[in-house]
Amino acid sequence: MLNVKTTRFGEIDIDEKRVIRFPDGLLGFPEQKGYVLLEHKPGSPLFWLQSITTPYLAFVTINSFPEKKDYLKDLQGVEKGTFKGVEDERVIVLAIVTIKQNNTKNPITINLMGPLVIDTETQIGRQVILEKSGYSHQHPLIFS
Amino acid sequence: MLVLTRKMDESITIGNDITVSVLEIKGNKVKLGINAPKQTLIHRTEIYTAIIEENIKAAGAPQDLTMILDGKLC
Repeated sequence: MLNVKTTRFGEIDIDEKRVIRFPDGLLGFPEQKGYVLLEHKPGSPLFWLQSITTPYLAFVTINSFPEKKDYLKDLQGVEKGTFKGVEDERVIVLAIVTIKQNNTKNPITINLMGPLVIDTETQIGRQVILEKSGYSHQHPLIFS
Repeated sequence: MLVLTRKMDESITIGNDITVSVLEIKGNKVKLGINAPKQTLIHRTEIYTAIIEENIKAAGAPQDLTMILDGKLC
């Protein structure tokens, strides 16, 4: 078991197999390579991507949103190699959620231009940039 | 910053394994061809910067999302 200190959730013990390695880190955080996914609440589409070495570093991510089905189809068209396995659920695709507390019009956006792609078999992840996809890094999250 | 002038079909070499070639010049647009090892990340700078900025903003998420999401998602 690995003991992970977090500012939001206190100290948590996780199975080392759950650690996800990002060899290149996330953009802007190249030195932070180890994370763990924590459920926000049972059944919620939200997951926290918590750094295992930096207690305050955690991203809110979302694994399902209204446009996801079309989005995955587009991803497969854009980067075939990277998204091999999306169909059989070996690869999970998460969008990072940005919460802008002082923006009342679009308080919650999701980054569809720079999704996180995680191979659940190797536990290796990377942030992919989809330059030509037409998706925004500030896509409004609309509740249905 | 190192500044080099190149003509159409000319290129520059960076390190041992990266070359950048000028493929086309049309008005104010330049088409570049880049040969680099597969693991080299290449991005348009403004997009790369936008994603970095968005990641930094996202990293400051408050713990209590319930209030913000108003019970719709959580």
